[in-house]
Amino acid sequence: MATSGDRTCADWLRHITSLPGVPGQEEATARELMKAFRTVADRVERDRMGSVYAWIEGTAPEPRPRALLAAHMDKIGFLVRAIEPGGYLRLTEVGGFDSRTLPGKEVTVHSSPPMAAVFATRPPHLQKKGESERSIPLEELYLDTGRPEREVLRKVQVGTMVTLRQSPVELLGDRLAAPGMDDRAGIVVMLRALELLRSRRPAWDVVAVATVEEEFGVICLGARTAAENLAPDLGIAIDVSHGDMPGAREGDTVPLGSGPALSIGGNIHPLILEDLKRSAKALSMPYRVEPCPTGSGTDAMDIQIASSGVPTAVIGIPCRYMHTGVETVEPRDVDRCAHLLGHYLSELSPEWRAVEVLK
Amino acid sequence: MSRNGAPSFREDILESISNAPGVSGGEEAVRAILAEHARDHVDSLEVDPMGSLVARLSPGSAKRGPHVMLCAHMDEVGLMVTAIEKEGRLRFRRVGGIDPRILPGQVFRIGVGGTRGVVGALPPHLVPRAERDRVTAADDLYLDIGARSREEAEELVPVGAYAVFDTAYEAWGSTRKGKAFDDRAGCAILASLIQRRPPVPVTAVWSVQEEVGLRGAAAAARRVQPDLAIVLEGTASGEAPGAPPDEQYPYMGRGPALTVQDRSLMVHARLLDVIEATAQRHRVPTQWKRPGVGGTDAGRIAISGSGVPSAGVSVVCRYIHAPAAFLDIRDAQRAVTLIWNTLETLRKEWP
Repeated sequence: MATSGDRTCADWLRHITSLPGVPGQEEATARELMKAFRTVADRVERDRMGSVYAWIEGTAPEPRPRALLAAHMDKIGFLVRAIEPGGYLRLTEVGGFDSRTLPGKEVTVHSSPPMAAVFATRPPHLQKKGESERSIPLEELYLDTGRPEREVLRKVQVGTMVTLRQSPVELLGDRLAAPGMDDRAGIVVMLRALELLRSRRPAWDVVAVATVEEEFGVICLGARTAAENLAPDLGIAIDVSHGDMPGAREGDTVPLGSGPALSIGGNIHPLILEDLKRSAKALSMPYRVEPCPTGSGTDAMDIQIASSGVPTAVIGIPCRYMHTGVETVEPRDVDRCAHLLGHYLSELSPEWRAVEVLK
Repeated sequence: MSRNGAPSFREDILESISNAPGVSGGEEAVRAILAEHARDHVDSLEVDPMGSLVARLSPGSAKRGPHVMLCAHMDEVGLMVTAIEKEGRLRFRRVGGIDPRILPGQVFRIGVGGTRGVVGALPPHLVPRAERDRVTAADDLYLDIGARSREEAEELVPVGAYAVFDTAYEAWGSTRKGKAFDDRAGCAILASLIQRRPPVPVTAVWSVQEEVGLRGAAAAARRVQPDLAIVLEGTASGEAPGAPPDEQYPYMGRGPALTVQDRSLMVHARLLDVIEATAQRHRVPTQWKRPGVGGTDAGRIAISGSGVPSAGVSVVCRYIHAPAAFLDIRDAQRAVTLIWNTLETLRKEWP
C-alpha cells in the first residue's frame, strides 16, 4: 500500500487519534491537521467556524466543478461540570457515551499542563449488597486526579475539556483500537485520498474538509457551514460504520475487513452510489452496501440540504465498539476507502452534474 | 522523610512488579522479579510447593527475639480465558473480586506473551432503550484480540491463559497510579525491608492465591511456623465525594492503616499495641483500617498450627481491584519505617 512520506496508514491513525478536540474545542487538533494536510494538498486554510479546508486543484478549465469531502475532526468527550471538595471532578458529556463503559477508565483533563485522571470506582470490598447490579449514570460518576484539591482548583475550571486516555492498542490482523477513530479514521482517508489525487489529478477541484462539531448533536455545524461557503457540486462524507459485534443485528453492521461501506437511502444520491460501486469493481475492491433508511447520521445530512441542495454520498469505515475507548478499525479498510475515493474523483467527468434538466 | 534507621522504600521494585502480570495461580513473572532482588539479601530462598516465595534472614544482633513471618501476596485479580469461539473471540471468567461494571471497553494483556485484547461493548447507538441501564453480566462479555478464527487466536492465547489490566505505572504528583497495588504495594514494602539484616529472625513470604481464598499463606505458615506474623497489604480507601464520614476512612496519604479486625481475623491485641506504640515513638502517622471489611492472609496464618499472633499493616489505596489504583508514595516509606522499627521493638519486648 502507498504511504504518505514515511507514514503508513496505521501511523497516521495512531497520530491523529491521539489529538484531543471535543466539539467546540478543536483548535489544537486543527493546527496539527493543517500541518498534515500541507504535506498532501495544494492549499490549506481554515474557515471562521474552525473547519480546515485542504484543496487539490483540478485540471478542467475554470470555473471548475467542485467536490467536497467531509470528515469530522471533533471527537466525543466531556467537559468539567463541577469541582467537588477533595478535588474530585464531575462531568457533562459532549457526544453520546454509554456511561456503562466508563468506570475505571483513564482520562486526560486538558488543563494547562494537562493532568491524567481516572473514573473512580468503589472496590467490591466496600460495596453494599446488590450495588454491582446497578449501572452508574454519568451524573454519579466522578474523576480522581490524585492531586491535592488546591492544585486541581488552580488548574481546572468548569468547562475544561476531558477526553479518554487510551493509547492505540495493536490487535491481530493489524487491527487498531483507540478512542477517536470516529472520525479521525475518516480524516486519514481524506489525507490518503488527497495524496493519491496529487499524482492523479482530477478534472474537478477537490476540497477535503476536516469539520468541527459533528458530535455536538444539534446540527453538523462544520459540514453545514463549509457546504454553504463552498457551494459544492457534490459532497461525500467519510465516517465510521458499525462493525460486526455480538449483540448487534446483521443489517446494522458491516464486517471489519470487508472494505468500504457505501450507504444507501434518502441521504445518498443514487448516481454517486452507482459510480462508487463502479470504482470499487474497477479496483477489484470488496465493499458493502449499508442501508440507511432514515438518514446517515453523518456530515452528509447537513451537506445535502446546504446551499441549493447538494448531491451527497457516505463512505463508511467499518468500526467496532463505536463511542468507547476501544473503537477498532482495520487500517486496510481505511486504505481501501482512500483508494476508492481517489479513483472515483479522478474518473469524475467535468460535465457530471446531479441536476437533471427535463425540458 | 525521616526513616529512623529503616531501609528505603524501593519504588523501582514496586513499578516493575505492578506492571508485571500475576493473576492468582499465575504469579511466576512477579515471583521472578522478587526472587532476583531477594537473592542478594537473604540466607535462604525457596519456592514452596504452591509457588510462594520464602526467604529466611537471620538477625543482625546477638539477642535473637521472636521469629517473625512477614507476608505479602503476589497475586492480583484478573481474568482467565475459558473458551475460544470459532469467530476468534475469547470468553473468560473472573479470578478474584472484579466488579463487572469496570469491564466493558477495558483493555487487557493476555497470556505470557501479553497479547492485547479489548472487552467489546455495543455502541450506544445500537443498545435498545430498555437495556441502557442494565449491567452486562461478566459471563456475557468477551475479549476481542483481532483474531478472525479460533485457530488464529489459539496460536497466541490458549484456553487457561490469564489476563491482566493493561495499566502502566505512573507518578501523578505524590500519587502513584498502577494496577495490582493490592498487593504489590505490600510485596514492594517487604522487598524493601529485606535489604538489611533485620533485628529479629525474619521469614519473608511472598504468597500466592490470596485473592481466591487466602490459600498460599495457609500452606506457607505451616512451613515457616513463626512466633508472630505481620501481613503487609494494599487496602481499600473509603474516600468518595458525598460519602458519610464513617465511610470515608481510611484515607490515602495519611499513613499506614492498622487492622483491628476484619472478616478473617481478630488482630492479636498485644502485637497491635507494640505496633501502635512503635508508630508513636517514631512519629509515623497511622490510621485505622475499617473493621468488618475484607480478609487477608493474616486470617489464615493466625489459625495455623497452634496459632500465630498476627497483625495487618496496610498502605491505603484508592480503586483496588480496578484497572488503575492509586497510592501515596509517602505511605509506602512510612510502612517500611513502621515495620522495621516494630521488629526492633519486638526484639526488645517480645514475649
